[in-house]
Amino acid sequence: MIRTIWLSVATAVLGGAVSQAVYAQGRPDAPITFFVTSEPIGDGGNLGGLAGADAHCQNLAAAVGEGGRTWRAYLSTQARPGQPAINARDRIGEGPWYSSVNRIDRPLIKSEIHGDTLLEAQRGSNMFKIYTLTEKGEIINGIGDPLPLQHDMLTGSQADGTAFPPDVDRTCNNWTSNAEGAAQVGHSDRVGHGNTSWNSAHATDGCSQDDLASWGGAGMFYCFAVD
Amino acid sequence: MTTPRLIAAALVLSITGLSTAVAQQDPNYSSLMTFFVTSEPIGDGGNLGGLAGADAHCQRLAANVGAGQRTWRAYLSTQDRPGRPAVNARDRIGTGPWHNVRGELIARDVAHLHGDTLEQARLGNNVTKLSALTEKGQIVPGLGDFPSPRSRDWDYVRTTPYSNRHEILTGSQPDGTAYPPDTDYTCDNWTSNADPEDGSAPRQYGGEGRPNAQIGFTDRMGGSNGSWNSSHGTRGCSQHALVLTHGIGQLYCFAIN
Repeated sequence: MIRTIWLSVATAVLGGAVSQAVYAQGRPDAPITFFVTSEPIGDGGNLGGLAGADAHCQNLAAAVGEGGRTWRAYLSTQARPGQPAINARDRIGEGPWYSSVNRIDRPLIKSEIHGDTLLEAQRGSNMFKIYTLTEKGEIINGIGDPLPLQHDMLTGSQADGTAFPPDVDRTCNNWTSNAEGAAQVGHSDRVGHGNTSWNSAHATDGCSQDDLASWGGAGMFYCFAVD
Repeated sequence: MTTPRLIAAALVLSITGLSTAVAQQDPNYSSLMTFFVTSEPIGDGGNLGGLAGADAHCQRLAANVGAGQRTWRAYLSTQDRPGRPAVNARDRIGTGPWHNVRGELIARDVAHLHGDTLEQARLGNNVTKLSALTEKGQIVPGLGDFPSPRSRDWDYVRTTPYSNRHEILTGSQPDGTAYPPDTDYTCDNWTSNADPEDGSAPRQYGGEGRPNAQIGFTDRMGGSNGSWNSSHGTRGCSQHALVLTHGIGQLYCFAIN
């Protein structure tokens, strides 16, 4: 009997039976300045460079009435001859940021999400699965949710939000490759690969749309408003 | 013809995480387990009978599932008292690595578990809602699970095993050490079930005359940080007070051998 109860609990919990409404209750007006793309660009790791990725964020934001802000994709690029590296953390403004459900007193803080001090890194931030929602307020399929698993978020970044050294590709050739290469990803549900990193959990093997899907992603990424 | 079907079934099970159920039925898994969350609390709030009582609770629950051959320790700190130096949770639990009842790695060693270096801390250990299983292989219900207006009421929660109970007693700082002695973070070294005399002022934890226990989250959600071992304090030390912030007094247990 007890086992039966727990099994049904596990099924329901794993099934993502989470009511978003409960988190939105009593939320004072906070600006929406953070979301996960509800859809990928669709060409694997070829995002059309940072410009293409930023435009994708901007378009998705505009479609839900949030186009008045300047949106940036949370992506790094690696150093190339004549092109210095770009760090994702340096592109997104200073925050604090809010998803569509973060309470005003539960923001994403720049130093916390990157663990700038040891205490911040050990404790963590408000980057929770219930907050990493799309611009439409939808939750991203994580481990244990109905398939397809889509929790891999392209970042090309190290855990502190900076770019990787240039020697090994972690950015699908600075977001222009849909074939060779690799992309560093984080997990929107912070589950998988033996760590809880939202921005630097592991690298993919390959940059095609199918390659990304085989690792548990769809080529989606985080968008932050700089203003 | 049968084999592909079996493989497919196994794949589905492992993908959906329902192999939890399989682990429950396989006694061999329990003998490899070196980490679990207690499936039940002691039940008297923050009075655990001290560290000895908490350790015995871990040992008893482990023995219930065939894992009693190991030496189990509750992940708890105690604070400095006259003649009794502080005890750090991180120093009590052996050296690892630790695995849950499904064989999943929780942490390689003490440094990995606590994030002793910046890089380790930023990536985190593998304590997640899906890995921080009880000794029976159960998921601990967490934030957002079956929300109910009565989810902070012990009389409801004790009979509703699927309501949120993600807060685990630790009495510890994020690095796994004890707090300084001045403010209670350990329900008087796990001997008190008392509540603040002035009634529970919302969001005021600890402080002079305020019995309190530091907690962490199995599902890594809540308290504006999601810390597994040191997010915030409780409203008091009674069983009823623990439930006010969605805990029931469960413990992390680690095997030291």
